[in-house]
Amino acid sequence: MIKKVLFLFVAVLAISCGSDDSGSDGNGADTFDRKVMLENWADNIIIPSYEDFQTKMNDLNSKTEVFVADGSAENLENLRTSWLNAYKAWQHVSMYEIGKSEELTFRNFMNIYPTSSTKIEQFVASGNYNLQLPSTFDAQGFPALDYLLYGISDAAVSYETVITDAHKDYLTAVVSRMKTLTDEVVADWETGFREAFVGNSGSTASSSVNVMVNKYVFYYEKFLRAGKIGIPVGVFSSSALPEKVEGYYSATNSKVLFEEALTAVQNFFNGKHYGSNTTGESLKSYLVDLNAKKDGAGLDAAINSQWESARTFSQSVDANFANQIESDKNKMLGLYDEVQKAVILLKVEMMSAMSISVDYSDADGD
Amino acid sequence: MKKILLSTVALSTLFFASCSSDDDNNDNPSTGIEVPATYKFTREGSSTVSFGGQTTRIAMAEEIISKLKDNSYTEAQLDGMFAHEEGGNDFSDADLNASSKNVRSKTAASFDFFSNNQSDATAIKEMFDMWIAKQVDDVFPNWNELAAAGSAGQIADGTSTRYVNANGLEFNQLFGKSLIGALMADQALNNYLSDGVLDAGTNVEENNNGTVAEGKTYTTMEHKWDEAYGYVYGASQNPETPNATIGDDDSFLNKYIGKVNADEDFAGIADEIYNAFKKGRAAIVAKEYGVRDEQVSIIREAISKVIAVRAVNYLQAGKDAVEGNEMGTAFHDLSEGYGFIYSLQFTRKSGTGQPYFTKGEVDTMISKLMAGTNGLWDVTPATLDELSNEIAAKFNFTVDQAK
Repeated sequence: MIKKVLFLFVAVLAISCGSDDSGSDGNGADTFDRKVMLENWADNIIIPSYEDFQTKMNDLNSKTEVFVADGSAENLENLRTSWLNAYKAWQHVSMYEIGKSEELTFRNFMNIYPTSSTKIEQFVASGNYNLQLPSTFDAQGFPALDYLLYGISDAAVSYETVITDAHKDYLTAVVSRMKTLTDEVVADWETGFREAFVGNSGSTASSSVNVMVNKYVFYYEKFLRAGKIGIPVGVFSSSALPEKVEGYYSATNSKVLFEEALTAVQNFFNGKHYGSNTTGESLKSYLVDLNAKKDGAGLDAAINSQWESARTFSQSVDANFANQIESDKNKMLGLYDEVQKAVILLKVEMMSAMSISVDYSDADGD
Repeated sequence: MKKILLSTVALSTLFFASCSSDDDNNDNPSTGIEVPATYKFTREGSSTVSFGGQTTRIAMAEEIISKLKDNSYTEAQLDGMFAHEEGGNDFSDADLNASSKNVRSKTAASFDFFSNNQSDATAIKEMFDMWIAKQVDDVFPNWNELAAAGSAGQIADGTSTRYVNANGLEFNQLFGKSLIGALMADQALNNYLSDGVLDAGTNVEENNNGTVAEGKTYTTMEHKWDEAYGYVYGASQNPETPNATIGDDDSFLNKYIGKVNADEDFAGIADEIYNAFKKGRAAIVAKEYGVRDEQVSIIREAISKVIAVRAVNYLQAGKDAVEGNEMGTAFHDLSEGYGFIYSLQFTRKSGTGQPYFTKGEVDTMISKLMAGTNGLWDVTPATLDELSNEIAAKFNFTVDQAK
């Protein structure tokens, strides 16, 4: 009985705190035109990002064909460059797991790491595999290419000679599947999904803005924060796991890929058109419209400023995150903290200002 | 705002702390029961606590549920682990192979529920046998196929891969989660904490006289109590203070007490269970059987509630996944939910000789869950809500609290 009364007491206090807070969050009226934002997202950010990614996937596909036909050192270098360009462009589309990409679980097939070198070598040796199976997520996509192009052996020179014909067959299969999936996702945006996406401009839980914001914050929390930094540095385990960094085998790209992803996330927030400095309606302008505040200043500015802090911090971190974790883990944890601070701003402050409920849980099943 | 909230939480914690210390003061000061700080009991300097058999069975069960996910195993190998015989080369651990214990003989085998009910006991054991058989016959051959409605195979659950039969069932989950009821809860609540076991034969007289079992440091009654304790904490890193790692020590009852305890709606349930075990054991030492029996009631209710909360939790998680069309996630959650529903028939309503749900009621709930042409492929959110409400209604929690 006493406990019940106390619960009430606590609940009342919590409620009164909450309503004070939302009072200072602005006038509460939401007059923002979500449809204009959706148009800006689709036409100036998402579709152009996908199309650029598709172009780079096509290049990766043709460089693969060239290398398979003639495994010269030069062709390998061209292939590696093309791979990295596509991998960077991927960082600009990975967060849009909605529509066809959600249906296909595009991200699972494109970028699950660490990749399983054991599985890949089994598939290479047997020639027997089915890349549509969930159990092969960790044997395909960019991380599998990272292994094939850099990790088969430690050979620093003449690496092209360790890539056997069987490896080349597998390389071709992996790239071809990535290209097929990409084409499917881009085609869907170009032939109808764009209209459905923009047209669903309400504010219910299933509206495009609510769903996209959930996908976006989920991506930031789980794939950018946890995947690129938190898991390898050991935030979620009893010890650090440096072998779980993105681009482990090529060794020098983990920071580049992280920074590219951070830029992509920030550009989306600011409504910045892909490949241009022009901006349009965005989460930022939505927050401004809502007059959302954080410690007296604009919440939008607080979010951007937090990302700038993360970017500045990143400058002092080794380009190879695995090396950084092994030499000085604390610096990597510092970067994690900077990235994490924005999770609170996005997931708690921004989403509540926009009256968008979080539709995912942190639980990993079991 | 956060600071205010935090201080409110701190304040309320203080109040709760004072409430519970009041409770402690009510711990029957007149009875002379000395409840130790930790689960440590000695006689003439030697420990009297022993539950090696429970630790062994938990370890055996761990290996079985692990090998149920290894498609290189045969039905005979898995059956061999489940119904292990001393010396059989069934496990990867030599100590387990040397043991005379096994899991199957203690599955649905409590004194209170099954000593006069061999037909149900046999039917339940055979259900576990069947899950092994179906895993090997239906799922293993389709290990590298994509699952679809009506056909077994693998399906993605986020970035994980789940292996299901044609109806979306993960048999390793059915097996593992049902064992929480059929082995751990049934043995603890309905066997070792039963009057019929604690007070069997001359147990009371021996305990009153401090007569120890032959060649042992403990009285038989003390030992029976510890064996119940072992089904909850037998795999703990430090069984004297098991709540330090509650939830991390096994894949069974310990794990899910930890999970429920971590939900703020049920915070404290782990302490409630542990303190009741400790106090009841101290009451046996003090020969205060009324106090002992009060603790039995507390343990039965709390552990039954843990099982019910997890059943509802998984049904609701499954419902969210079905609504989001994430079928792999739904199958995983609902296969766990299936096991927890199955486990409800081994719960114990204190003050009665009955579970919260009878075997018949459980079978009906399972039939509803699997009623679609292709089982879980066709389950509706309405059915999952109906089952959730049906379970929560028998306990003092709501469906929302269990989420």
